[in-house]
Amino acid sequence: MSEIINFNISEIIPTREEILREQGVSQGIEVKEKINKLILKALDIFKSKAQPVGILSEISIKGFEEVFIGEGKNAKDTPLENIFPQADYLALFALTISKKVSETISKFFKENDFAIGSLLDSIATLASYKGTKVIEKYFQKSIQKKHLTKQETTVLSYSPGYCGWHISGQKKLFQFLRPEKIGLSLNASFLMTPLKSVSGIIVYGKKEIHIFQDNYPFCLECKTHSCRARMKKLINQ
Amino acid sequence: MDIILQKISEYLQKGDEEKVFELTKQAIGHNFDTKEILDNGLIAGMNIIGEQFKKHEIFLPDVLMAAKAMYAGMDQLKPLLIKDGIQGMGKIVLGTVHGDLHDIGKNLVGIMLKGAGFEVIDLGRDVPAEKFVDTALNEQVKVIGLSALLTTTMSVMKEVISILKVKDTTNSIKTIVGGAPLSKDYAKEIGADAYAYDSANAVESVKELIGVN
Repeated sequence: MSEIINFNISEIIPTREEILREQGVSQGIEVKEKINKLILKALDIFKSKAQPVGILSEISIKGFEEVFIGEGKNAKDTPLENIFPQADYLALFALTISKKVSETISKFFKENDFAIGSLLDSIATLASYKGTKVIEKYFQKSIQKKHLTKQETTVLSYSPGYCGWHISGQKKLFQFLRPEKIGLSLNASFLMTPLKSVSGIIVYGKKEIHIFQDNYPFCLECKTHSCRARMKKLINQ
Repeated sequence: MDIILQKISEYLQKGDEEKVFELTKQAIGHNFDTKEILDNGLIAGMNIIGEQFKKHEIFLPDVLMAAKAMYAGMDQLKPLLIKDGIQGMGKIVLGTVHGDLHDIGKNLVGIMLKGAGFEVIDLGRDVPAEKFVDTALNEQVKVIGLSALLTTTMSVMKEVISILKVKDTTNSIKTIVGGAPLSKDYAKEIGADAYAYDSANAVESVKELIGVN
């Protein structure tokens, strides 16, 4: 059964430093006062427009096997297919920052207010990442409470469109999770609207299960290798 | 260069759209040549901004504030440019490929290209492969710019390039690709003429592709 999770904006709002980094400004570099004022303005707009909400639904390993297969378009070998069978618990999730934020970003660009539009876009992107962390923690706590599990277990999420899990996997994920309840929809290309939304699977289990070598064929096409930072963070936890 | 054009360039670099608007109006009122206002005022200012951005002396918000100021000046120049039949640097078709709804990067590239004096036909996002090619041929553009943020939509770029190879019999339209998951090697592999790693680099690469400085 799915559960709707309402966020407090303060849980997901990024810091000035995080916003600047997302805009390509290295840590420690001072920007003009005009930019600082624009950041504050963008944050105020975000606070007034964002209505973050999430949906979570526990799923068995067997149930997720079917979701993960999706439309049969995944890469031949993926890290997630080795990870999720070792999980203690799994949950499908989706979250959205709100349609209003995406509309406001588009409006700013149409009106040539590019800087504020771009800052708001960065804030919404960062907020959606933070929202994912909030849902991960929520799931972790609820499992620990329900099953009195050991504290050393960890949670990490994976999304269709990354690491060999084909984007078309969204179709099955949507069929199971029904995130339409929180205002999400899927287009013919399997992309979610509103755009500032995240979906995926949360894997609860020992942290070792998430550690893999990023030498899959699709890793050659990946420029970010963000999995490395995720794994490093887990190891250091 | 006349002081008024220099001031347009300076205020543009400061991102002061009101001053740029006012000074462009003044320059038009003083019967400055339209192309001179464009080249030595607005584009000159944006070129400096582009260079500073490339050297990490300024940052994305600075560039975007300058772009807004540029557009404030351009709004006044546009009717005159059309009336005088003044051609820009050339036409470019731009869009995020089919299957992809992420357009922030593509928008930034469009802003920078317009700032450099190009006419940008922005097809938006989730654009079918055929539409890129058909628009490019119908509008006689010089370059097609393709953007993708997802690894799963990168392959559509290859499809656009394949269609272009068949339909563009004169082989005159060039392609440039960009987006977070892309690399120079991938661009080469799919037969793109250029790869841009950011918006400033996109302008430089497009200029190189069409042989202008």
